Amino acid sequence: MIGDTIVVTIVDIRGDKVRLGINAPSEVPVHRQEVYEAIQRENLNASQLEPKDTQSIGQLAERNATGSRDSRK
Amino acid sequence: MRINTQRFGRIDVDPNDVLTFQSGLPGLEDCREWALLADASNDALGWLQSTNQGDIALAVVSPRRFVPHYQVRIPRSELTPLSISDIRQAQVVVVVGQNGTGLTLNLKAPIVINLEARTGRQVVASGELPMQYELSTNRPPLKKSA
Repeated sequence: MIGDTIVVTIVDIRGDKVRLGINAPSEVPVHRQEVYEAIQRENLNASQLEPKDTQSIGQLAERNATGSRDSRK
Repeated sequence: MRINTQRFGRIDVDPNDVLTFQSGLPGLEDCREWALLADASNDALGWLQSTNQGDIALAVVSPRRFVPHYQVRIPRSELTPLSISDIRQAQVVVVVGQNGTGLTLNLKAPIVINLEARTGRQVVASGELPMQYELSTNRPPLKKSA
């Protein structure tokens, strides 16, 4: 186990070679480089947005239960 | 300083308001200077506008406004380049994206800003967080009318 979400299994053993399989939920990149690349893709995707695309966002805002504005950002 | 932007036309920004991102942003590494603009019609929304590339801007929001229980655990090493010694000096915004269902928020990689030092950095938060938190499917249930 790596952490509590990634499982490493032995897929194959041939002589002195051991092949490992890594099972991780699809949203958990296994390597730091993969995380960086995923953020790169998401930023480039997000950079396509224009004001007309975000107009609905005001309606999507959740209100705190008390209805008071959270002064800490 | 005057910036010719694709989305907002020609705008004037006080140089003192410009935020410096030493490493740029992943995918936008050449964009080191950004201005945080308010959206004209949406007080929930801001735009991080690149000051040297007029066509580059990112929509950002304060995450707590959309995800009230959003808590970020950021490794101390990620905060040091920002000269942030206390998390309360930090302002956290998240980038708005979109997928097939509609608008999304990148909760996994928030942008941390030190307003005093005028610096910023996109960090990787610890734990399992979505890069595309779907706003439309995570809406609060409709209130019953009286």
